[in-house]
Amino acid sequence: MLRSLLRKKLAMAGVIFLAVFYFCGIFAPLVAPADPYEQTISAEARLQGPSSSHLLGTDRLGRDLASRVVYATRTTVVFTVVVLISGSLFLGLGLGLLAGYRGGWVDTLIMRTGEVMGGLPTLLLMLAITAAFRTRINDISFWLEDHTWLGDDAATVTKFGIIVMATVPFAWIGSTRIVRAQALAIREEAYVLAAEATGASQWRVITRHILPGVMPLFIVGVSSGMAGTAGAEVTLSFLGLGIDPPTASFGSLISDGAGPQTLERYPHLLLAPAIPVALFFFAWNLVGDALVDLLSPRGQHSA
Amino acid sequence: MGPGLLGYTVRRLLWAVPVLFIISVVVFYMLRLAPGDPVDAILGQRFQEDQAAILRKKYGYDQPVHIQYLKYIQNLAKGDLGVSTRHQQFTVSEVIIPKIWVSTRLGFIAIVISFTLGTAAGVYAALARGTFLDPLTISFWLAVDAIPVFVAAPALMWLFALKLDLVGLGWRGFASANIILPILVLSLPGTAGIARFVRASVLGVLQEDYVRTARAKGLPERTVVLTHIARNALLPLITVIGLALPGVAGGSLVVEQLFGIPGIGREGFDAVLAPDFDVILALVLFGSFLFVMANIAIDLLYAVIDPRVRVGAARG
Repeated sequence: MLRSLLRKKLAMAGVIFLAVFYFCGIFAPLVAPADPYEQTISAEARLQGPSSSHLLGTDRLGRDLASRVVYATRTTVVFTVVVLISGSLFLGLGLGLLAGYRGGWVDTLIMRTGEVMGGLPTLLLMLAITAAFRTRINDISFWLEDHTWLGDDAATVTKFGIIVMATVPFAWIGSTRIVRAQALAIREEAYVLAAEATGASQWRVITRHILPGVMPLFIVGVSSGMAGTAGAEVTLSFLGLGIDPPTASFGSLISDGAGPQTLERYPHLLLAPAIPVALFFFAWNLVGDALVDLLSPRGQHSA
Repeated sequence: MGPGLLGYTVRRLLWAVPVLFIISVVVFYMLRLAPGDPVDAILGQRFQEDQAAILRKKYGYDQPVHIQYLKYIQNLAKGDLGVSTRHQQFTVSEVIIPKIWVSTRLGFIAIVISFTLGTAAGVYAALARGTFLDPLTISFWLAVDAIPVFVAAPALMWLFALKLDLVGLGWRGFASANIILPILVLSLPGTAGIARFVRASVLGVLQEDYVRTARAKGLPERTVVLTHIARNALLPLITVIGLALPGVAGGSLVVEQLFGIPGIGREGFDAVLAPDFDVILALVLFGSFLFVMANIAIDLLYAVIDPRVRVGAARG
């Protein structure tokens, strides 16, 4: 009892935190206490610790750090939603079920494609893709500015597009492999054979009989994938190849404050972005973990 | 290993050839056709068209891409990975092998720690089911996992090097105590995933009919745990271990950068930024080769451990 209670409480705390996080991201302009781009470069305004006028202090350029953190949540929110829907859900689950249940050449084609894509050293290739495209950032964003309604946002959209393109090709393989391995074992189960024998359609067999058995491990994959997906953007931005200033991202905010000496002198530079982003990862981890317990057909009996 | 499994192994190994071939073609063309080339990087500010032309001829970049590719493959067959344009006196092998060796040793130590801690935590949590120790154990590792490396590293450096003065910060090789911090940040984050996998897996198996049957037969608990639970609970862990191993040789760019470790992750990053074509290609092919081999090993292990998969593979 205590176990499920504590687990649920932690998971609920995670859900609430994620709700607040996503709310802050979506309504960043309303939540942010100040303009995240407004610089005040003077000794009194730069690198100030937390105060009543700047809740989380100011950065090297005298910008309000609290506002920059709020805008960084927006970057994370947009990025995770885009990659998760396109990469994990669409490609990962769909292809995994198809490969595991159909077998034969469909399986071979999907898994060998996955092997080709997943066989590439991911971070190195992500870096190569972003580095190659970044030399063209100006061309692409000027074109977008002239030919679409994006206007000033064109450069940010371009950078988003680049990291999404660098991430999605690698985002589906892990979940596809997990789903396929499970589906492969489950399709040999008696209840699947029974369903097939009674003339259930392929769609019905996949969704009603294979999918429930596949879900727990898929959810473990997706929930850890959520932190990992967001982590890819944060890492790329930390390395200076993702979303870079003036647009706020947790990666670039952290890289401003990372360093033992900087941490000693200006702890708020690291702590202000690090705590929310670590809590964000933690919250996803907790929610994913609790979901496994709730959704697993086996877990229902044990809980 | 039955005759069916042997044929399966051979088929998979033969598959690896076209897979690696496709990877090499795609990456080769991607590098040559992307904007930016090594000659720009070598000349930098002193760029002059006639010098660039000489260098392009020297490295063969003036030729059509498919000719360059054929030359590359010819040399590769002889074991020649080409020359580095960033380290001009050195061949690619001379540049990457010592760095891969550093990263591999470091990564291997970290992964052994991760899997030991993770398996122990996972089994402990599963057996402690019903008490608060189960969620506490898992949540603790989930919290550790949530701290990004580039946050944990400066924080640990500040605490252990600046405040407590227990370790230094520079890279002094494997014999120095300075290695403790990088190994900590490399190994701790991975533990949560393994613990969670092991726990879920053990819990799932605990409820299987065959476990109940084994207990009902009056088998000793030790036999039940080892032959009925462990054997089946290990199944999903194979994927996790198998997919983690190739990454070990690839190094960790962020950790290597933060701690100044002369590893392959940093070399790859610098090669991408330069760009240094032959180094990038060698690293991609090396990483891909390890990954493909790991995948084959995973599938074979599944077939050996879980007969259900073997039937499926033979049928499909």
